[in-house]
Amino acid sequence: MEDEEIEEGMLVEEEAAPPQPEKSPYEVLRESKSSVENVVAKMLSIKKEAKPKSELRELVTQMFLNFVTLRQANRSILLEEDRVKSETESAKTPVDLTTLQLHNLMYEKSHYVKAIKACKDFKSKYPDIDLVPEEEFFRDAPANIKEPTLSNDAAQDLMLKRLNFELFQRKELCKLNEKLEIHKKGLQETIANRKKFLNSLPSHLKSLKKASLPVQNQFGNMHTKKLKQHHSAELLPPPLYVVYSQFSAQKEAFEEKIDLEIVGSVKDAQAFARQQANRDTGVSTKGETSRLEDDAPDEEDDGQRRRKRPKRAPTKQNPDQSGVYQVHPLKVILNVYDDEASDPKSAKLITLKFEYLLKMNVVCVGVEGSHEAAENNILCNLFPDDTGLELPHQSAKLIVDETPAFDEKRTSRPYKWAQHLAGIDLLPEVSPLLAVHDAPTSDITKTEAIMSGLSLYRQQSRVQTVVQRIRSRKKAQMALVEQLESLMKLKWPALSWESVPWALHAPLCRLHGCSPVGPPPNLASSLPVIDKEQVQEPIDADSVGQSGSSKEELESMREDGELPSLVQVASVSDDKLVQHKGDSRRGISLLSKRPPVSKAKPLSYKRHNEELDFLLDTESDVDEPAHIVPEEESGVPIQCFEVAGKSWVDFGAREFRLVLTRSIDLEKRNVKLEAKIKISMEYPLRPPFFTLSICTMSGENLYESDDSELYNELRAMEAEVNLHIVKMLPQNEDVNILGHQVCCLAMLFDYYMDEASPSSEKRQSTSVVDVGLCKPVSGQLIARSFRGRDRRKMISWKDMECTPGYPY
Amino acid sequence: MRGDARNWDEEAYRETILKEREIQTRTVFRTAWAPSLNPNPDTIVVASSDGSVSSYSIPHLVSKLPLGFSNVKAPYLLMAEPNCFLKGHEGPAYDVKFYGHGGEESMLLSCGDDGRIRGWRWKDCIQSDVPIHLQGDQVKPVLDLVNPQHKGPWGALSPIPENNALAVDNQGGSIFSAAGDSCVYCWDVETGQVKMVFKGHSDYLHSIVARNSTNQIITGSEDGTARIWDCKSGKSVQVIEPLKNNKLKGSCVSCIALDASESWLACGTGRSLSVWNLPASECISRTSTRASVQDVVFDENQILAVGAEPLLSRFDINGVILSQMQCAPQSAFSVSLHTSGVTAIGGYGGVVDVISQFGSHLCTFGCKCV
Repeated sequence: MEDEEIEEGMLVEEEAAPPQPEKSPYEVLRESKSSVENVVAKMLSIKKEAKPKSELRELVTQMFLNFVTLRQANRSILLEEDRVKSETESAKTPVDLTTLQLHNLMYEKSHYVKAIKACKDFKSKYPDIDLVPEEEFFRDAPANIKEPTLSNDAAQDLMLKRLNFELFQRKELCKLNEKLEIHKKGLQETIANRKKFLNSLPSHLKSLKKASLPVQNQFGNMHTKKLKQHHSAELLPPPLYVVYSQFSAQKEAFEEKIDLEIVGSVKDAQAFARQQANRDTGVSTKGETSRLEDDAPDEEDDGQRRRKRPKRAPTKQNPDQSGVYQVHPLKVILNVYDDEASDPKSAKLITLKFEYLLKMNVVCVGVEGSHEAAENNILCNLFPDDTGLELPHQSAKLIVDETPAFDEKRTSRPYKWAQHLAGIDLLPEVSPLLAVHDAPTSDITKTEAIMSGLSLYRQQSRVQTVVQRIRSRKKAQMALVEQLESLMKLKWPALSWESVPWALHAPLCRLHGCSPVGPPPNLASSLPVIDKEQVQEPIDADSVGQSGSSKEELESMREDGELPSLVQVASVSDDKLVQHKGDSRRGISLLSKRPPVSKAKPLSYKRHNEELDFLLDTESDVDEPAHIVPEEESGVPIQCFEVAGKSWVDFGAREFRLVLTRSIDLEKRNVKLEAKIKISMEYPLRPPFFTLSICTMSGENLYESDDSELYNELRAMEAEVNLHIVKMLPQNEDVNILGHQVCCLAMLFDYYMDEASPSSEKRQSTSVVDVGLCKPVSGQLIARSFRGRDRRKMISWKDMECTPGYPY
Repeated sequence: MRGDARNWDEEAYRETILKEREIQTRTVFRTAWAPSLNPNPDTIVVASSDGSVSSYSIPHLVSKLPLGFSNVKAPYLLMAEPNCFLKGHEGPAYDVKFYGHGGEESMLLSCGDDGRIRGWRWKDCIQSDVPIHLQGDQVKPVLDLVNPQHKGPWGALSPIPENNALAVDNQGGSIFSAAGDSCVYCWDVETGQVKMVFKGHSDYLHSIVARNSTNQIITGSEDGTARIWDCKSGKSVQVIEPLKNNKLKGSCVSCIALDASESWLACGTGRSLSVWNLPASECISRTSTRASVQDVVFDENQILAVGAEPLLSRFDINGVILSQMQCAPQSAFSVSLHTSGVTAIGGYGGVVDVISQFGSHLCTFGCKCV
């Protein structure tokens, strides 16, 4: 473009150039142009002024001349242009060449700059390599590395040497590594071998263990069994675990003659524990379950367990497995042996079964193999006020709120002492498996609390106390049964301890009858009622019935609005009523238990009432102003009230009727002393309680009660038998206390009869007149047999024999 | 301790059982109303078979009764704490009496099976502030008399005879004791010596009353007779044999009572009650009772009698039963009448029944062991 302009410019220059010698073509062009314009203007003016065409000729010629110059000028301009063009062309070639050269050089330069930069940016690897420090290199490097010079640069040389050394070292290490690897492989092989051996070892041991079982049995060392028991003990609920652990500790530490066993399905217990863990935490711990499962196969191949399997089956089907009475599958069996017998295994006293009711958190105890009702249970009232009918703590009561009393049908019962044994008072109420997951801090405080509780437990020697109590209870019951049997056979009980007067006294009275009263307890059914004729006698039955019914009688009397206080005019003797009062005084608590089956009772009651009515009539006839006080409060309910507060005392108490007779004269008059003996479960701690009544029978069927006459004497005899002789007996005679009481009663009865019979002299005095070598001595001491306002009869004991009155 | 296997103390439990039984077999032999300015019954003194003499405040006991206690329900047997407790005698204490002219200056006398008569200043007893369980020997008796022993051959001594009853003569300053050796001893209160011995009964004495208006005493004995003695001469003036006609075994004159005019005498003799007119020396009536009579007292011209049955009987002079009402003790040994008409009956079981003048039970309490 530029070139073209330049060309044009040049063209313009060339146009003007040719006429340069004279006139430049451009000037020519301009002059001719202006002359043309003049001519045209002249022509136009001629045309306008219509001047003759002649002048035009001239002008046209001039025109043509101008045109010729124009053309000439144009041509010379073009020529000029061509020449300039060719000149330019020739000048352009060298310019192009130099431009190309410049470009090449520029490229070369940039390449070099780039190469320089790359060189400058180059980085060596060596700073990344962990080299041995220099001084170490100089110290350790071998000469063949240190000696040769590898580079002129000293630093470079050193570096290279160091690198070489490094390389050398690394190669060495690699070699070592390989060697070790091989060694390792060898070791692993030996380990695998040994492992294989170890794995096979348990089966060997197991077979050994199995082989040793008969030997263990032979030597009475039940090691395997114990281990197994300990194993299943871990699955026990905490209360039973406390029972188990404390009993076994007691056994081992003090050689207590007891045996412990855990029965029940281990599998069920495991399942239960797992279920418990799941429910409590929501997450079952792997370790726990795996441990539990580990146990299972171990238990499986046990011969002992297999034997127990059928035994377990019925308990499983028990309907009360669910609900509030849900029982933990494991139970603890405790065998108590006699601690005085020479051979420990021979004298098993009692077997107890402890079980745990999950819902109620109570431990129940029952006598294994006994299905007796609660009141005959040997364990009731082992400690005061513990009948086992009530649930021991409030929370359990809340659970079974619809039935506040414990299920009567169960043979094992929640005695309070069982709870104490199980340490329920000191255990926190959490399941054993849950405790594991607790936060460590709370766990520590909890375990501390349990530890202190357990030490208290040991201090109180609960286990020992209970075992002793159970033992003495059982022995006492056995002794009691023996004594009762002897009484039922109408034999005087044999007393081994003879340093009391009644033991040596040969009773003059006859043991006429002895029979149980009240609801037939186990003993009554097991022992034959010997006193058959006695029972069949109508009046006898009547009197029993009366005494049995007197409470209801009294109550109904009050309900009827009759006047129990109304007593017959003194001249009329109604001995029965008196007898009633005497009986009901103490008999009340027992009477409620009597099933109202006696036919004699309502009859006698009626008759009695009629008598009362009659008496009322006669009296009101006789004596007008007599104001008869309608008495609501009699002496009877007072006693009743007192007894009501202590109903537990009579729980399980049995009552017996003992009849002693003595003929007092030749007319075949007999005096009959009837003793109601109430034997509480706490025998002999609570000695049997005698309630006496007396009557005279003349001939066969005439009865005459002497109760009111001898009232004070009877009470004194009661006090003697119930209270005073108990104090005289030594501890070890405790269990025979019933025999002592009966013998003592017989002695007292004999004695009273001797006194009462008119033949005996009432008063005696010993007077002495000593006539001899010395001065006569005289004087007398009056012998007395009664004393005091209650006309107490006196007995003096001389060499273990009694004489009426004193001083004899 | 209840049902507790922890800290089990078997001995202590055995003790409590025996103690319980002991309380049941205890007998209240005599109750006496303490002299007081208060016209209402205030304090009652109880002599019981454990030898203790203790006093109980009736208003205090009544206040402790449960509310709503009326004649509707069974009475509530209160085990009462005494407010004064004296360990009076070895063996049973048989009688308590107040000596003196009333008020707080009077002396509390008791006698018992150990043959002693002891006297305490009543003021000292009620003002003692020692805790009740320590009180037994705290208050020292101001009077302590022991019955003499009889001499046997070779210097043998008889046992000390017991004192079964007391009577006092405030004017003469003497105490009469009915002793177990069939004698009545008359003691001088000031010197503590026996002033006179009345001998004549053939068996031991049960009861005694002083007939101060004629300076006589009347005794009832185991031998079945009652005797009137002249205190001046010491001789028996009259022998009353209530059961002259029907001699029954075991009939003793167990209790006698004089009326206010001291001209009527009631004798409880075994299972009968006889009333005598003393000026005329004749038996007015003789009634047999169902149980033996153990204490009688005159209520103006009526006779209250208790015996070996839980009944309080009211007789008129002619021996007709006017009323009978139940009382708590099954065998009552004592009936005592307050001037206001309130009656206290004590007896077997250690029970005292207080009956108001209207015939309702004011309170019934058992004497607690201290």
